[in-house]
Amino acid sequence: MSDKRRVYEKDYLPYIVRYGKATGWLAVALSFGPAVVLAVIYGVLPPSAAVFAAFIAMASAVGINWFVEPISYFPIIGVAGTYLAFISGNISNLRIPAAAIAQKVAGVEPGTTEGNIVATLGMAVSVVINIAILTIGVFAGNSILVRLPEHILEAFDYLLPALFGAIFVQFALMRLKLAPIALGIALSLTLAVNAGWFNFLPGRPTYLITLGAVFGTIAIATSMHKREARRD
Amino acid sequence: MEYIQIANSTPMWIAAGVAIALVMFQALIFARKSYNTGKTIGMTDTQMKSAMKSAMITSVGPSLVILTGLLSLLVTVGGPMAWMRLSFIGSVMFELMAVGFGAEAVGVNLGAGDAMTQVAFASAVWTMILGSIGWIVFSTLTADKMASVQDRFLKGDTSLLKIIPVAAMLGSFGSLVSGHLVALNKNTVAAISGGLIMAIVVQLAEKKELKWLKEWGLAIALFGGMIVAAIL
Repeated sequence: MSDKRRVYEKDYLPYIVRYGKATGWLAVALSFGPAVVLAVIYGVLPPSAAVFAAFIAMASAVGINWFVEPISYFPIIGVAGTYLAFISGNISNLRIPAAAIAQKVAGVEPGTTEGNIVATLGMAVSVVINIAILTIGVFAGNSILVRLPEHILEAFDYLLPALFGAIFVQFALMRLKLAPIALGIALSLTLAVNAGWFNFLPGRPTYLITLGAVFGTIAIATSMHKREARRD
Repeated sequence: MEYIQIANSTPMWIAAGVAIALVMFQALIFARKSYNTGKTIGMTDTQMKSAMKSAMITSVGPSLVILTGLLSLLVTVGGPMAWMRLSFIGSVMFELMAVGFGAEAVGVNLGAGDAMTQVAFASAVWTMILGSIGWIVFSTLTADKMASVQDRFLKGDTSLLKIIPVAAMLGSFGSLVSGHLVALNKNTVAAISGGLIMAIVVQLAEKKELKWLKEWGLAIALFGGMIVAAIL
């Protein structure tokens, strides 16, 4: 084991896991804060049957993502990123882009010791910026929103598609052979889901697209890599 | 008392603020540890400061999109809940769905124009919380274990460590972008032009060794793609 790897595994990771777990469980507890305030200070408590019914509705709509997302993002964001991103949310639209650009600018590769550390740094910065902007926004409130012309607000709808396209290309340039395969899998699964081939599954099975594309691409990349290694 | 007065009351602001402070705290200690470890393993201050700067620049655009979502959520659930929910795990779509299910469970149909009541608001709050802790619980329980699953999969072949994250990125962003590609509307234009601009910017930045262009690259691509789609 190299010295770098030893520092990462014996010092960095244990620290991250210890604080990641502590902050994770604390986050679960603190997220109930507003519900406790409503019950204790204002005496408003919804009937438990209603909460249960609403929870079941949510679980059937998004429940599969509680498991699918942490698993399929793990190979990208690693241990520290998982603790960070699944508290702060906004993973694909903010955390991963920040991590990716940080790695690119620092000139480190994803998956290496340096890459993991820089990705965590980038994600942590994005949390701070995100919270700062939301905090200013929520206190300045609607006064900003009403002053913005309608067409500017509409234009914001196109920012995410542009972001997804740009990130895909950034990584496509790193693996030119793999990119068309990944996009091919994703596009065919998207068309199949849209055509209703998977309607026998509960909810709208868009998670199949992510699962299939992520693990399909990993499988193909692994076998391509092994074949190349054997040839060398 | 009107529900919205409770929703915007000081105790609710405090409960939300405490939860957000935890997210901020986690990001800060992770950033500090990553920075220090980075130095220990031989990364330079310039490398890491540049990475942080680029993550900062890149975070602004997506954060503004989240802010517009926050302002739309604010109308229904008040400032504190909107502020907290979008700084915590969750997204506008998810939260609006949770509010809808939560209110509906006590017989208030917001979509049909029913007015929100205190109990419906409380039910919505519980639904937002219970619907989202699944992500935090699962990822807090499994983050460190997923690392050992990945190690077992690699079987000591660490060269795969550089390939898997990129493959996973291509798969997940391929699936995010393919939804917009098959839509054949302005989102498609945004996705493609975001990707094209990124390709040009990355090549240019690398050929001419332009550090500032590397740092601003993703921001240019996502705003550029957005503007092209809005104008066309």
